[in-house]
Amino acid sequence: MARVDYKDMIDFAKVILEDYKLFEGIELVPLETYEGMNTRPAWDFKTPMAFGFYKPYLIKGNDRIEKITIGELHYMKRAKYCALNMTTADDYDLPIYACEFDESAGRLGVTVDLMPTVDIAVHKGYLEKYYTPIAPLWRKYRTIPGFTIEGRCLLQRRYGPWPWARETLSPFSLDGRVEEREDRLKVMDAIVDYARVWLELLKKAEPIKDPEYKQEMVKRKKTMHKYYRELDPGGEVLKKIFGEGKHHLFVSLVF
Amino acid sequence: MADAIQWSPYLEKMREELNQLTLKETRHVEGHAIMPAQEFKTSQIHGGLSAYSAEKIEKIGIGAFYLNETIHYGFCTIIPDQNYALPLFISLWQEEIKEITFLVDLMPTVDSLIDEAYRKRYLESVQPLWERYASLPGISPVESDVVRSLCSIIYTAARVPIDKEGMRLAALAPHSEYLKNYIGFVKEANALENNATKREVERKKKALRRTLGESFAGEMVRNTVAKAVGDNLLELMRSILF
Repeated sequence: MARVDYKDMIDFAKVILEDYKLFEGIELVPLETYEGMNTRPAWDFKTPMAFGFYKPYLIKGNDRIEKITIGELHYMKRAKYCALNMTTADDYDLPIYACEFDESAGRLGVTVDLMPTVDIAVHKGYLEKYYTPIAPLWRKYRTIPGFTIEGRCLLQRRYGPWPWARETLSPFSLDGRVEEREDRLKVMDAIVDYARVWLELLKKAEPIKDPEYKQEMVKRKKTMHKYYRELDPGGEVLKKIFGEGKHHLFVSLVF
Repeated sequence: MADAIQWSPYLEKMREELNQLTLKETRHVEGHAIMPAQEFKTSQIHGGLSAYSAEKIEKIGIGAFYLNETIHYGFCTIIPDQNYALPLFISLWQEEIKEITFLVDLMPTVDSLIDEAYRKRYLESVQPLWERYASLPGISPVESDVVRSLCSIIYTAARVPIDKEGMRLAALAPHSEYLKNYIGFVKEANALENNATKREVERKKKALRRTLGESFAGEMVRNTVAKAVGDNLLELMRSILF
């Protein structure tokens, strides 16, 4: 098993923003207030255990975004907990782009997905509309070593103990524990390709017209927010670092 | 070589579990007599499907058939009565000389992300089985994107390599175990009283059945099966199962 020193770990935000230029041609504008909270304390933080940033943005001239958050939490100079989340405003039913990227010496734990905001078994059109471009990427990237070892790939190992979390995932989630350095880099391709698909879908997004459908979508989206903000084990780490209560800003920006 | 294959006792094992219910044979589905599907035989394919009803159950479809003596298909589906929020039971079995491809699942009839009580009752309680079969060789996601989009968080699917004969029975175990659990749920199920939940269940059940039916030819059985049985029998088989 390869071990990667802290200094050699992937600069998640830099790689996405500067190397892949994910948001090239898009003007990101800092989101100063989110759900009534001042987000500035999260933009650049330092505690005895951790330092880093969770920066939320909107897109200039685009009213379709609720938040785009890019974040890195460096823990004891031993591990990095990084995230990219892109969520549309409640008038749009786009899936939530969610990427959790936790790197330590031994491995990279990663989940990347476009989480459906409606029940796709009921709304078959949603599957066709939003997942047609994702399906070939899923087939391409699920072969990365670490996504497929131990048999049942993708869902079982990291999300096994949390049924609520498995419920939030689409049939195209990429999830696993990746060890080798070169495979960790391949994961970045997957993260960025999924994000590019989401940004393309955003361009074509139309506001929801059916009020009942919107109500259903918002209910599911809020339930997902509640689960991740209240039940995600990562929230416990954030509580330890920032203190009970203060951690709420951070979990709300991450998901 | 095909003559030497000892096909797995899929039908027998599933019927053994189903016999815990009081089954009533169904002779018609959607206005059509099921007789032509009960036993069919051509130069390429032979087998049969049966349909039953039971207390709290609208329809049980079960059967097996053999294509060119090289593929053994098995199906067992249970559609609950409209007054019950039970999941749909789905068992798909495709057995070949060197590999068995299968799916077994309890497909939720509500949005189980939102309905936590439903999730705990019908899905999380089956999680120990899901975990037990995680180590089965060949375990993998369902290849069909459409079918996978219907599956619950505890579905078990695999492409099991048959490198020794014991693997056929090992691959069959999740089906009989999931079915055993499902029958336990049927016995305990209470009729729905809340009209809003009834409407939700009806809507999702309808969507699941429609999509499963549309996925039958091509996704669940090879197109050669459709050609071998012809359009009418294929449609009847679809009606029996979904």
